[in-house]
Amino acid sequence: MAEISESEPLNPNPDSPGSGASSRRSTMPGTKRLMVTLSVLFPFLAGLPFLLKSTEIYRSPLPFSSIDSLSYRLLPEPPSPPCRLQVVFLRPGIGDSADRLARLISDEVDKRIEGSLTCGSCRRNYAVSVTVDSGNGGCACSGIGEGDPCFWRCGVVDSLGLRNKDEVVDEMLDAALGKGGRCMGSGVGKVYTVLVGESDAQEGVRIVVGKHRHAWVEGNVGENDAALLIANIFIKYFVNGGREEFVAQRKGEFVPVGLDGSVVLSFSLLNADPTDWVYDWNFQKIDEVMLAPVVQALAPVANIQMESQVLYHTPKSSISNWDDKSGGNIFGIGDLPFFVNSNEWHLDTSIAAAGRSKILQFVVYVPSRNECPLLLQLPNGKISKTNGFISPMWGGVIVWNPPECSADSQNKSLIRRTMSPEDLQKIFHVIVGQLRLLFGFKSDYIQDDDMDLINILASEKGFTEWELDVLYRHHACYNLISCTTTLESLSKLVQSLPRMIIMDDIGKQVKYSLEAASLAENNASLGIYDASAASSLQARSLAEDAFFHPSIMSISYSSLEHYFAIYML
Amino acid sequence: MSKLRLRFNPTAFLLIIFFFNSVLRPALALVEDGEGLEEEFTEELLLKPLPDRKVLAHFHFQSSAPPSAANGRHHRLFPKAIAQLARKFQIRELELSFTQGRWNYERWGGFDPMSTANAKPPGVELWAAFDLPLNEIDHTWKNLTHALSGLFCSSINFLESSTAYSAPSWGFHSNSSKLRYGALPREAVCTENLTPWLKLLPCRDKAGIALLLDRPSIYRSHYHSQRLRLISSEFTGIILEQALTVVLQPSMRSNSPASSGYGFLQPSWSVNSLFGKEVVGQCVLAKTSRIFFELEKDLAFKVDKQQPLSSWNNSAFELSVIPNNDIREINAVKNMGSSVLYVFEVSNSNDHMPLDVGIRWKIPLVWSYPQAPFHMNRYLMGSGNERGSIAISLRSTHLLERFSRVSDGCAVHAVIFQVVPWYVKVYYHTLHIFVDGKAQIISDVVRKMKISPSEDKLSPGSMELLLRFPCNIESATLTLDFDKGFLHIDEYPPDANQGFDIPSALVTFPDFHCSRSYQLDDSIYYKSPLLSKFQEGNPVQTYTEVLLVPLTTPDFSMPYNVITFTCTVLALYFGSMLNVLRRRAGEEERLERSKASEKPGLIPLLLSKLFSKLKGKEPESSPPLSTSSSILGPKLVAKVILVGLLAVIWNYYLKNG
Repeated sequence: MAEISESEPLNPNPDSPGSGASSRRSTMPGTKRLMVTLSVLFPFLAGLPFLLKSTEIYRSPLPFSSIDSLSYRLLPEPPSPPCRLQVVFLRPGIGDSADRLARLISDEVDKRIEGSLTCGSCRRNYAVSVTVDSGNGGCACSGIGEGDPCFWRCGVVDSLGLRNKDEVVDEMLDAALGKGGRCMGSGVGKVYTVLVGESDAQEGVRIVVGKHRHAWVEGNVGENDAALLIANIFIKYFVNGGREEFVAQRKGEFVPVGLDGSVVLSFSLLNADPTDWVYDWNFQKIDEVMLAPVVQALAPVANIQMESQVLYHTPKSSISNWDDKSGGNIFGIGDLPFFVNSNEWHLDTSIAAAGRSKILQFVVYVPSRNECPLLLQLPNGKISKTNGFISPMWGGVIVWNPPECSADSQNKSLIRRTMSPEDLQKIFHVIVGQLRLLFGFKSDYIQDDDMDLINILASEKGFTEWELDVLYRHHACYNLISCTTTLESLSKLVQSLPRMIIMDDIGKQVKYSLEAASLAENNASLGIYDASAASSLQARSLAEDAFFHPSIMSISYSSLEHYFAIYML
Repeated sequence: MSKLRLRFNPTAFLLIIFFFNSVLRPALALVEDGEGLEEEFTEELLLKPLPDRKVLAHFHFQSSAPPSAANGRHHRLFPKAIAQLARKFQIRELELSFTQGRWNYERWGGFDPMSTANAKPPGVELWAAFDLPLNEIDHTWKNLTHALSGLFCSSINFLESSTAYSAPSWGFHSNSSKLRYGALPREAVCTENLTPWLKLLPCRDKAGIALLLDRPSIYRSHYHSQRLRLISSEFTGIILEQALTVVLQPSMRSNSPASSGYGFLQPSWSVNSLFGKEVVGQCVLAKTSRIFFELEKDLAFKVDKQQPLSSWNNSAFELSVIPNNDIREINAVKNMGSSVLYVFEVSNSNDHMPLDVGIRWKIPLVWSYPQAPFHMNRYLMGSGNERGSIAISLRSTHLLERFSRVSDGCAVHAVIFQVVPWYVKVYYHTLHIFVDGKAQIISDVVRKMKISPSEDKLSPGSMELLLRFPCNIESATLTLDFDKGFLHIDEYPPDANQGFDIPSALVTFPDFHCSRSYQLDDSIYYKSPLLSKFQEGNPVQTYTEVLLVPLTTPDFSMPYNVITFTCTVLALYFGSMLNVLRRRAGEEERLERSKASEKPGLIPLLLSKLFSKLKGKEPESSPPLSTSSSILGPKLVAKVILVGLLAVIWNYYLKNG
């Protein structure tokens, strides 16, 4: 402090006014220094482009414009494969009115199709043709279908033929219409046939939807009623697969297929307490007899593998209560979230389900003695007939009460049995029903109340041909949309990050995915549903592969600041 | 087995016929599968008192799946995951062990089927033989390690790197070029490895013998080894052996009153006192469920001397449960006693009558276990962080003298298999062999040798030696010199200062094969996989200790220091460069001179400015400063505009980017 006080008086005027003038230099600056500076600066500036070039990142060229055009084409209006409705009137007397009837029916279909513009339905891409087969050689066709081998040949079946047993009629009609294969590639899609025949019985109308692509109506119906009925059958079953609207309108998530197009169905038989009884099953037989046709039918949609195991000491984790009225232990809808005991049920994921494939668990639960019989109570108080439930995208659970549990036996000796073939058949009927539910269909049509007039024949494949058509169409459509959105996101991502490395692999995958997508589109427009589904699946899995390519994951963000920090400084 | 196969063929034929039937008529009917060809499961436990007052408990579970096309897809008892593993990776044979602690060969025996098959090196050991073309094996091994590490919640995937595994040709097991061997000596083994292992049993630890596997008591043990062995072929199907060996210390307090007087009485124990649990009934799925209680040769011999050992309750000890059966070993060697097995059937027990096998000793006994012909030790020599040497020493146990009078021409063979990581660079030419302290010419002792030197960061070094010693040697020592390598900074494991573990070496004595057969009819052998394993036997083998090699560890903050230094140097360089370019010495000197003529000096001037600021006063020179700033006005504005322009361009460019 003392110093400061001392130094203060010493402080002179720091900047004399004259200093500004004298700071100007008196001599001219030499050019030598300038030259040196410039000679350093110039090579640097000249080298800069080379430096920038050397730090450039490799980006495989992606076909952005094709992706854009694909999404521009597909997203607002997904492809609608063509469908064809053929109506055959097996009755004499209305010979000349085929064209009029065709108009009538297509008007009716037009009115109703508004409500079902879901992805994969035929939309407005349908055609109606009417054939009037008057039996004794008289035959009249409305314009479109003449000469096509897929179409009805008059005189093959008469009205009386429809009065046989349903299954017999079904096979007969299938033979008459030519087994689907003949019509492949005709470019107009699958032909769905509705036959209208007469019956002697006066009461009511009988409608049967067959296992193949046809239905028949028996009864005396007027033209307008017939048109209404036919339009109804066509839209509800052949176009929408008998699904409820809310199911159909959900976006594609209902298809439990892995991103690489494979599904593993893992079947587990759980013996809750093996000290009471041990049940075993002959799964290989079921696999060969019951499940193989289902797998074959679903092959274009997914590559399905099956596995089975038997597990023991696997109690459920919810609690059930005894109910005198139903004579069993009751578990309700509220218990279902807690039924699956993930601690004790080691339903391992399989080595077969590597990567991005999907695994669906089907569990047959054998309750222990003290919780047997175990019954599922529906919210309306009734006991469930199937005694099972599904969990979307996970699988299904069925409770199977062994026959020993009703026989209230005191004998504590160990029961070691193999499940009887009849029981297995019942269980696997339910499982196929659950699989249908998981794929978005109704488990069966018996409880279809509003359509009590309609009989629907069940196929031993689990899915009827027309249902499979619907599945293929929807699957193709959703796959295409999902593929498009994935590719679009990829192109947006790539365009938004100019410093992202893009490997050649990705470029190739995108290219192949686009090719597969356009193939699927072509097939869809030609009406080859299964091929379209298969190639759309390929397109989607390739698009996903590109998007989730490990090189993208590793260096998805390298900003400009980063770049300057690394290369410039 | 051949009898079985003969029986199988007609059944298979029937099955085929039936299958066609059922296709035609799609109804499900049941066909009983061929008898004897079902999947099977057995559970066994062997209890055995050890000479150092500990107790050995050996759990043996065996699942088998007959050869079938459905293996890996449909299973009843056999774990699906394992079958899929065997199928996907085409495994012929696989053994995986998780071990904590070290088997004490001197006290717990080294020449009985138990120790030769179940003593394992600490940490994880995995070997697998594949049924694949040679060029696919390495790739499959890598996938297998990942699958196993997922299955057993462990870091087996570290064996993926080619620096971690080796391909022994004859030093480990039989001649096979399709075998891969890897070990992780530092793997910590705990309950997260046991739970997935138990999940492979049909009853898990919910029932049967596995109920005893109480985690705290197992992990308190002195030695704990959990093994999984898989054998798969077209003819036998898949056989999965799961064995868990624990060496427990029974608590001393629950002794009989006699112990107070006799300090050396062995502790009495029972299953309940060891594990805190009892066996209440078998796993209902097990074909056989037994507990064996074994008295080792020497012990049985000593008990026999007291009183001919006939019953479960004699003058030496008393078993807590009456055994269902007792069986004696068929012994080839005289004067050495024969071991005794007491058999307890678990199926007789239930909730009300638990099976609590135990022993109460009445007199103190001292006994010993049969020893391997040599005791193995491996140790490091040398000091410093640069080089050292590995020594493997063999010390004779004089087993040979006990067997037979040693003649002059008698010789004993030993196979040494050792894998050394690449950062321990062993110079194999420095191999020296000393027998009884005297250096030997290598070709006199080494019969066969296969050495694959390590490659840096590519493959470990492995050594297979077949040695031949005369029978009457006291000791032999092998030494090998090595240099310690340098690792890249990111190759160091966490806690690098602890040192690096070199996996155990394996020494096999091919001349000695130990097996143990019992006085039984063949049917019981067939039913008891454990006893049939004992009868099969193994060549005698010993694992050495794990070596801990300290390597030079870098200062791990070094990269930051380097960055700091480099940046300082760069800053100095650019700073002085710019300074040189910008400053004009001549001009400055001129200015200096002109100022010096007017002003008192720069330093007092600055000081005065500083002080005036400190005092909070405005320097008196503010008017001239403002004038000077007004003079610089247009320049300043231009500068501001320039900076602003640059900012705009920068921003624009960034936005585009």
